[in-house]
Amino acid sequence: MAKISARQLFFFLACVAPVGKIILMPSALVQAANNDLLFPAAANFLLQAGVIFLVMLLSRSNQTFYQLLANTFGKIAAKIISVALTLFLLYCALLPILEQKLFVQSIFYDTLPSLIAFAPFFIFSAYLCAKQLSSLGRVWDIIAPISIVGFFGIIVLAVGNADFGALMPVGAGGGKGFLSGTAYTMLWFYDSLLVLMLMGRFEYKKGMAWKAAVFYLVGAAAVLFFLAVFYGIFSDIAIRQIFAFAKISRYFSAITVLGRIDYIFIYALGLVMAFYCAMPMQAAAECLSDAFGGGTLRSALYSVGINAVMLTITIALDYSFGSVRDTVGYRLFWLFPAVCVGLPLLALCLRRKKYEQIR
Amino acid sequence: MNKFGKFAKTIPMKLYILLALVIVFAFFSNDFGLVDIQKTAIILAAGIDRTENGFAVTAQISIPKGTDRSSCGTSSVEILGEGDTVSACIAQIYSKTGWVPKLVFCDLIVIGEETAKQDVFGCLDFFLRNEYMPDSCLLAVCEGKASDTLTMSSAIDDTSSLAIGKLFSDAAGKSGKVVKSTLKEFSIGYFGKAKSGHIPFVRSTNQTGGCTSNSSGPEGGPSSGAGENEKKIFSAEETAVFSEGKMVALLSRAETFAYNLLKGNVFSGVFSAEDNGDPVSLTVLKDEGGVSLDMKGAPKAVLSVNLRVRLYNSGVPAPVENMAESNPSPETVESAKRIIDGYVDALWKKCAESGCDLFQLSKSLYRSSPQKYEEWKDTLLSAIQPEIKTEIRIVK
Amino acid sequence: MINVTGNLKTDTEALKKLLPAEDILTFSFQSENGTEFTAVFADALTDKELLGEQIVKPLRKYLGKTKAEEVGKGLNAPELKQEKSLEALAGEVLAGNPVLLWEGMDKALIAGVKKVFVRAVAEPPTDVTIKGPREGFIEDLKINTSLVRRRFKTGELMVETITVGRRSNTCVAVCYLKGTSGEKTVKEVKKKLQAINIDILPDSSYLTHFLAERSYSLVKQVGTTEKPDIFCAKITEGRVGIIADGSPIALTLPYLLIEDFQSSEDYFVPPYRATFTRLLRLLALIVAIYLPAFYIAGQLFKLQLFPVKLLLTIAGSIRDIPLSPSLEMLLVLFVLEILNEASIRMPKYVGMALSVVGALVLGETAVTAGFVSTPAIIIIAFSGIGLYAVPNLIEVTSVVRLAMLLVAGSVGTYGIILLTAFILFYLAATENYGTPLLAPFAPQIGRDLRDSFVKYNLGSLPTRPKTLKSKNKRRLSNG
Repeated sequence: MAKISARQLFFFLACVAPVGKIILMPSALVQAANNDLLFPAAANFLLQAGVIFLVMLLSRSNQTFYQLLANTFGKIAAKIISVALTLFLLYCALLPILEQKLFVQSIFYDTLPSLIAFAPFFIFSAYLCAKQLSSLGRVWDIIAPISIVGFFGIIVLAVGNADFGALMPVGAGGGKGFLSGTAYTMLWFYDSLLVLMLMGRFEYKKGMAWKAAVFYLVGAAAVLFFLAVFYGIFSDIAIRQIFAFAKISRYFSAITVLGRIDYIFIYALGLVMAFYCAMPMQAAAECLSDAFGGGTLRSALYSVGINAVMLTITIALDYSFGSVRDTVGYRLFWLFPAVCVGLPLLALCLRRKKYEQIR
Repeated sequence: MNKFGKFAKTIPMKLYILLALVIVFAFFSNDFGLVDIQKTAIILAAGIDRTENGFAVTAQISIPKGTDRSSCGTSSVEILGEGDTVSACIAQIYSKTGWVPKLVFCDLIVIGEETAKQDVFGCLDFFLRNEYMPDSCLLAVCEGKASDTLTMSSAIDDTSSLAIGKLFSDAAGKSGKVVKSTLKEFSIGYFGKAKSGHIPFVRSTNQTGGCTSNSSGPEGGPSSGAGENEKKIFSAEETAVFSEGKMVALLSRAETFAYNLLKGNVFSGVFSAEDNGDPVSLTVLKDEGGVSLDMKGAPKAVLSVNLRVRLYNSGVPAPVENMAESNPSPETVESAKRIIDGYVDALWKKCAESGCDLFQLSKSLYRSSPQKYEEWKDTLLSAIQPEIKTEIRIVK
Repeated sequence: MINVTGNLKTDTEALKKLLPAEDILTFSFQSENGTEFTAVFADALTDKELLGEQIVKPLRKYLGKTKAEEVGKGLNAPELKQEKSLEALAGEVLAGNPVLLWEGMDKALIAGVKKVFVRAVAEPPTDVTIKGPREGFIEDLKINTSLVRRRFKTGELMVETITVGRRSNTCVAVCYLKGTSGEKTVKEVKKKLQAINIDILPDSSYLTHFLAERSYSLVKQVGTTEKPDIFCAKITEGRVGIIADGSPIALTLPYLLIEDFQSSEDYFVPPYRATFTRLLRLLALIVAIYLPAFYIAGQLFKLQLFPVKLLLTIAGSIRDIPLSPSLEMLLVLFVLEILNEASIRMPKYVGMALSVVGALVLGETAVTAGFVSTPAIIIIAFSGIGLYAVPNLIEVTSVVRLAMLLVAGSVGTYGIILLTAFILFYLAATENYGTPLLAPFAPQIGRDLRDSFVKYNLGSLPTRPKTLKSKNKRRLSNG
């Protein structure tokens, strides 16, 4: 399988990564920052864009993160760090999976189905995780247009019903709202870590670092516009509008005649989300492959193991979304910036060390 | 290749076969909590009344007609459920019918007149919380009990909720005679700064004729109104206004029309004026109405109605040349202006007296200046002086 | 290896020993100077008239020349070969070419006078066009290669023959344009063909199994066509073509999924029309695959997929149906597949009767009797028609449709979405001779997208598809 191309990586940053942030994040932002929901989101996006820029600079060595670790600390330490990173990636995947499960149960069914209806996701995910991370590149080529069509469709149907005045007065949430909004939504921002895991799986070309950051910000702009439309539609009741993207377009007048045509776009985004949701697990499997050796059989074993663990956790936490949300999103929110921002910054030091070794 | 290698190579195919078998097994055996179309009660509308013990919910459930296309309209049956809460009522409907009630197609919630006089979010809360209920569904307050209204036999459609729903079409809204309100809009008003909202008020009148009713009375519920062969015509030209979830006043037809004019919603709406004492009708071709808040000095609400109208109908015979010109006299315009001013003034007074911030002025104030909002939030409505600006221009 | 000895009796007996079958005949005759000859040939495969006219008649006047070359010069046959090995001679006899032995000669002459059974070149029934060439390949390799050669009057067209089949010894021609087709692909194809160890090769479709890179694959991995114009166009783009003797279906490699959405006619009509029809084919395929699945998922799990009035109509139609919606749909689908299978194999006239039985008796009566509902029949009929909009993909799409139906009936709409994601990933990860199956969409190749679902005019397609990595990039010269 060829390496991921620059275009494919940009497609991921601009069209796939934003999709994971439009299910529960909008209502969480409203809960923390009310009508100022755009600012915490923008802050997180800017932070991530900056870190992605740095990771891209780091990727000029065309080495994987594991290789950098091994060069610096030796293989045993690199393996230990890789295992820790695998666990953190699974931690990152936890809430999006539970979120996805709730979303599926609500949007794909009329009545609450049993948990087993969501179980096939892990079969799909296991298949994905058994493949190399670089094989996702071509999928991004396909799902990027699907994502654009889905997103654009939903926005077009919704924007006419939005009262953007609801975003006023600016700053009503105050500094506390901004800070809590930024902190409590950090769990959705682990894209820099995914890019770190993609290192060495794409050829770095000149100018790719700033282009990647710009593409990420293009996706961010789309999400911010979505958030504005979302708040414009629901204003004072936005706080309880979970699964935001599946709801904002149903007020389009033609829906009463044509039926729920917005489902075409919702399902298109649902398709993209399935890939995005499985990505941390795929990165975790790849992390293990890097550390302990790959190959078809081993990759399959890592994949089955990871997905079995996540399926078990999902079953165990079936009715505990709120508690998980409180723990992961509120109490331990600092883990995300610590790893998703701190680790790439530390990785910059690894690079310097390696250059010194070469000299 | 060794034996294990050969075996490993065939693992994916074996897994695919296993997966296919699992899917086939699931297809034929398991339903994953499935509630298919044949086990479902498709609720088209819900009527809510308060009772001594809680609530009574009348669910209008659609009945499939089969392939027989000889009968007209949509068949439905109304089932009554009672309980402490709305969800308890819905659960009772489930136990009575054996069908799983699905609210995904519930496009109308009718609230009984008496129920509306208490905080309606006692009953609407269930619908707003329910993830499977569209919050784009229409709300209506009805004269008397909601159960009676839903069990009435309409001359327009066999199913009363569909007949009521027709009153709130976009075309009806543009006439200025009706204001519609959805659960989402009403909730935003309720939970917003203004804590106010409106819901159309539905009345019924007798009408004879129409096609045979397929609708049956509420099973196990009160029989008033049910079983009568009289066909009903529904109208929603009045509007109930709410403050903090309670119905505080009822806008008349004229006030409802004025409210629509102020919202700038009217296109092709007709209203009456006088021409030298003779009645004439004017049709609105363009409505640029609006309400703005002026907080410089004493709070002031500017209620502006800016219309372009055409003479639509004269109550007295006129020469054919006049008919061709369709040009109302200056007296007609003056009379129209007076009438509209009167409607708007009456509307404002009713809202101010009842404490309903129908024009969401508190919300406007909060958006423009949170500090001033804090200062005025409790007294704003009583302190505001209205300024009515009506401009009517003629289109020949 | 046994060679010809020059002793006519011994040589004839040795050859007959190798070919003991009754239809292998020998014909002995003498020339004017008394030299004895024996012709060994396969009955029915050799043109006896030509054998008499071109070989036997001149030899009767034979005046005792000893060298085979000189004997050959005296004959009227244009196609003559010499061979010493008796095994090779036996092979030639079986191919229909008579072998001529005579006393005192340690070589035998092989005369190319085999009888050729061929049907006329006609329009293939699987690929009918309104505009454009109507020729189709037939079962004869020589005629097929001549149809190709006629379109390439250039020495760059290479036709290399490889014999496949231990017993059938079938000739397989590998056609490519030197300097245009990927050398790596040509090498790999030849290597794979030479490595085939099968006893007989009844049809070119047998080759696809050996040429495919994955033994088990959901999608086909080798392109097929019955039309020389399409075959030549694909070779021109940089592909390698394979024609097998005895098969009217030619193969092309590497295969891209988009090929099956393109028809030869697309290149003979205005680009907007071609774009429209290609998009229509895609839409038809999507409808064919997804419509039954969403219909089931809608009824079972997500009523909101239907507008309320349609839902009430459907609810009315299925009210008295004894089967569950999913089983009903599966039943109707199976009936359709059975009818389809039967009608293809049936003789034409019986097939028509079968259609009547299928459409009227089964369809109408089943609805009237309340076994199945009208919407189910409409949905499956629509899906069945849609599938045939892309006939080359029917094998795959009918399986995918069934899989979608099963998933929709068990897991609902989310199952459909997941299966779609699964198939997308599978297709995107599939490669064929180093070429991604989903190119030019995944990976996206902007220039090649001009001849994908959207078709630009010829002037905007000056280069060969980048996907195929042809060395000679331009097909439309600047001048």
